[in-house]
Amino acid sequence: MNAAVETLPMPSPASETLTELEHASRWLVVVLNDPVNLMSYVVMVFRKVLGLDEIQARKHMLEVHEKGRSVVWSGAREQAEAYAYTLQQWQLTTVLESEEYETD
Amino acid sequence: MKQIEVRLSVEVVAPLLDVVRETAQQLRAEPSPAVHLPSLPDDLRDFWRADVVKSQTSDLDTLLGLFGETFISEGVVYLDSRNAQPVLRATAAVRLQLHRNQLSGLSEEELEAGEISIDALTAPLRRAFVCYLFLATLQELILHHLNPVENA
Repeated sequence: MNAAVETLPMPSPASETLTELEHASRWLVVVLNDPVNLMSYVVMVFRKVLGLDEIQARKHMLEVHEKGRSVVWSGAREQAEAYAYTLQQWQLTTVLESEEYETD
Repeated sequence: MKQIEVRLSVEVVAPLLDVVRETAQQLRAEPSPAVHLPSLPDDLRDFWRADVVKSQTSDLDTLLGLFGETFISEGVVYLDSRNAQPVLRATAAVRLQLHRNQLSGLSEEELEAGEISIDALTAPLRRAFVCYLFLATLQELILHHLNPVENA
């Protein structure tokens, strides 16, 4: 058992850093459905917080209503956290998800 | 500044305010059901929770402030562009909390359609449900007359 462990190649700090660079994370701001908030209220919040126009806001609201969730924004962690926080302040059930993707 | 005056029956609304106050008391200590802490990064969770509760408390103070002496003596509440946003958020928080704690036995279809026989509910459930409807009406009034996007 010990011998097998000793033969495993240990990654060098340099290769770990390279791996981190190759797999960057994109953060998703996901709004979940609730049976409580009025549709007109949800549309207003999407417009107010995310700066969407009426058509985009309605599209996301209907996606939340019909599919149970809608990704309303994706991008860097800090901005995603800011959007999620503000949407929760407006009482929309919002979760953050991270999505790894390959970089060149 | 645009302002709307809402005339209400004190006799009808006063018992509903007891429900709002009880629920507001809960929301001064815990985040509303909209706040999903498990999905947050570990380093943020405690700070986030405290900040959301502080923000909720401020919104609830504005909502309850509508129903002060003027309301008791004249049956009138005044809504304007300064209090519209906190009142919208506070009413949403109270409705979500009522749903979690008292109305969870009602189906989502019934709640969304508003097709519930009030007479069939027990007295505490009826009070909670009528309060839930009252706060939705307040939200609709604000969205119609003082929409924060259209009046920005």
